[in-house]
Amino acid sequence: MALFPKVGRKQPGVRFAWYTVVAILLLGIFLHLLPFYFMITTSFKTTQETFAIPPTLWPQEPSFKAWELIFNVTTASSSSERIRTLLPQPMYIYFRNSMIQVLGAMAISLPVTAFAAYANSKLQQGRTARWFFLFFIGTLMLPFAVTLIPSFLLTRNFPFPTPNPPLIPGTENPFPTIRIWNTPWAIIIPAGFNAFNFLLFKGFFDTIPNSIIQAARVDGGSEFNIFRRIVVPMSIPVFAVAAWFQFGALWDSFLWPLVVLQSTDVIPMSVAINNLIQAFQQAGVTNADQAMGASQAFQQALDAGLSWPGLMVLGILQTIPVFVMFIICREYLLKGVRLRGLK
Amino acid sequence: MAQESVTVTTPIGAEEQTQEQVQTRVTRRGRIEKWLFLLPALLFQTFWGWYPLIVAFLLSFTDARPRGPISWRGIESYQRMFNDPLTWQAFQVTFTYAILSIVLTFMIPIFVAILLMEMPRKHMRWMMLLWFLPLSGIASTILWRYLYNAQYGLFQYIATNILGMEPQPFLNSSDQVIFWLIFPGLLLFGPGLIYMAGLQGIPQSYYEAAEVEGASFWRKIWTITLPRLRPIIAMTLTFAIIGTLQIFDWPQIMTGGQPGGASRTVVMYMYSLLSNLRYADGTALAIMLFAVIFGITIIYRTIFREDPDA
Repeated sequence: MALFPKVGRKQPGVRFAWYTVVAILLLGIFLHLLPFYFMITTSFKTTQETFAIPPTLWPQEPSFKAWELIFNVTTASSSSERIRTLLPQPMYIYFRNSMIQVLGAMAISLPVTAFAAYANSKLQQGRTARWFFLFFIGTLMLPFAVTLIPSFLLTRNFPFPTPNPPLIPGTENPFPTIRIWNTPWAIIIPAGFNAFNFLLFKGFFDTIPNSIIQAARVDGGSEFNIFRRIVVPMSIPVFAVAAWFQFGALWDSFLWPLVVLQSTDVIPMSVAINNLIQAFQQAGVTNADQAMGASQAFQQALDAGLSWPGLMVLGILQTIPVFVMFIICREYLLKGVRLRGLK
Repeated sequence: MAQESVTVTTPIGAEEQTQEQVQTRVTRRGRIEKWLFLLPALLFQTFWGWYPLIVAFLLSFTDARPRGPISWRGIESYQRMFNDPLTWQAFQVTFTYAILSIVLTFMIPIFVAILLMEMPRKHMRWMMLLWFLPLSGIASTILWRYLYNAQYGLFQYIATNILGMEPQPFLNSSDQVIFWLIFPGLLLFGPGLIYMAGLQGIPQSYYEAAEVEGASFWRKIWTITLPRLRPIIAMTLTFAIIGTLQIFDWPQIMTGGQPGGASRTVVMYMYSLLSNLRYADGTALAIMLFAVIFGITIIYRTIFREDPDA
């Protein structure tokens, strides 16, 4: 609204520039929609058609086999032994695991982070506030890679960051430890405080005038009630933004679940899909030549769509929750960010 | 104790003074509440934020392994990693990736956000909706692996049949693999949400004044928009540097480090050390990466000072 002059929009030069901008934006949107188009159409192709040269732009003989396969993978009739080894659990188990882990982490992390940011923004001041601020965001500057191995060891023998807990002096017994490794808590607890969201919350709370909070204090509200009844209703947008960022990051997170979750009944979608891709690669179902000359049992799996169409279905399923979250939060996205850098 | 709550009445407009008085007379209950607000976050941040970091430094000087006692080994693991040719290859790959990806893709969201804010309100709404339409990272990996397939992928078809080139190896070539890993980010550019929020905060009067002075399109971007976005850009660039230097997920699923380690980043190498139960070596490598990132961040922040005016 600002870069183009308000008067003189009819001038050819200004007009040309305007339409160039519109064209760039539409091109970007077009490119952005292409992946969705490819994923959806490919999921309805037959396995043979996905190997076609040239690639077909529209399914020649639409088939729902891949969708049926992914949804029915547990029922004995539709799945051969081969498919069972590739997808050891029914798809909804992975989906449920992802949901539990992500929503559980958010249920803890959003309030914890918001409380701390509020206290830091409105209840502390001066030097103390500054030091707490640095304490909270200091880890943001550090690569996640550094703490990966110690954190992994901590999930095994909390609070001892060693592969085996030390022995209680004078006895043969090791110290008792808490083991959250290979449970959903290994995802939920380390995500309990989110430094980036702290920054978002603090930036937002800083813009709330102190006079509002003081007025409530004068009326005799406790700090918690002030937060709950006055600050939270004003801050829905920033909660939406924080929820959206965290959901996106956790839902697709891959390295950490890969390290701390092992058994197939706790791994989330992202890890399950990666395992499947790796298995495909080794089995050769994504390679046209090998796929065509595959054994009888294997051919059965391929015909059922356990190749690119099946993977595309998984990709679409993985995208849907992100999409839903986006629809929920989108009204607030622009209102919620009030960052001014790392100061 | 509830009766002790603060009752301050000062004339409106004396806000500074009010605040001071309120703060000096915060009740004991208020102080307890303040600490209750902070406590959970303090615990989480101590145990899962700083504690693992301190442990990482200590662990890299030991011979930690899954079985048996642990003893101090000084800088042995650092020496081992330092003399490992794979370490240097991984650092080289990581730097190439980070530089290429920041040079090619960092500015795009800023400009798209600036252009998008030019659209009339009603059009901006649906454009934003389509533009932020999220595709999960895993889903896009599946798709790009399919498109990049050297036999029947769409890109091979475009290269050979439409552009008339030789068949391209795409992800199978050690010279091209990093570029093709970055390419999706170049094609699927999007506006940055944080920039759009920042742009909303720029007063319209600045642009009106510039217009009276006869400033051109580029001139307005250069002298008003970008300086105003500067603190935000400084922050996102910091995160971009840190983030790309520890890239893992995307190359790991796309290539797994192939061919011949040409796309194996430092964190991917560290992950393979961890899989081989070489904990001390892995942490030593991570600390080396940390030192590099820390150094770069310091240099960058002294050059690109944040928040000159606002």
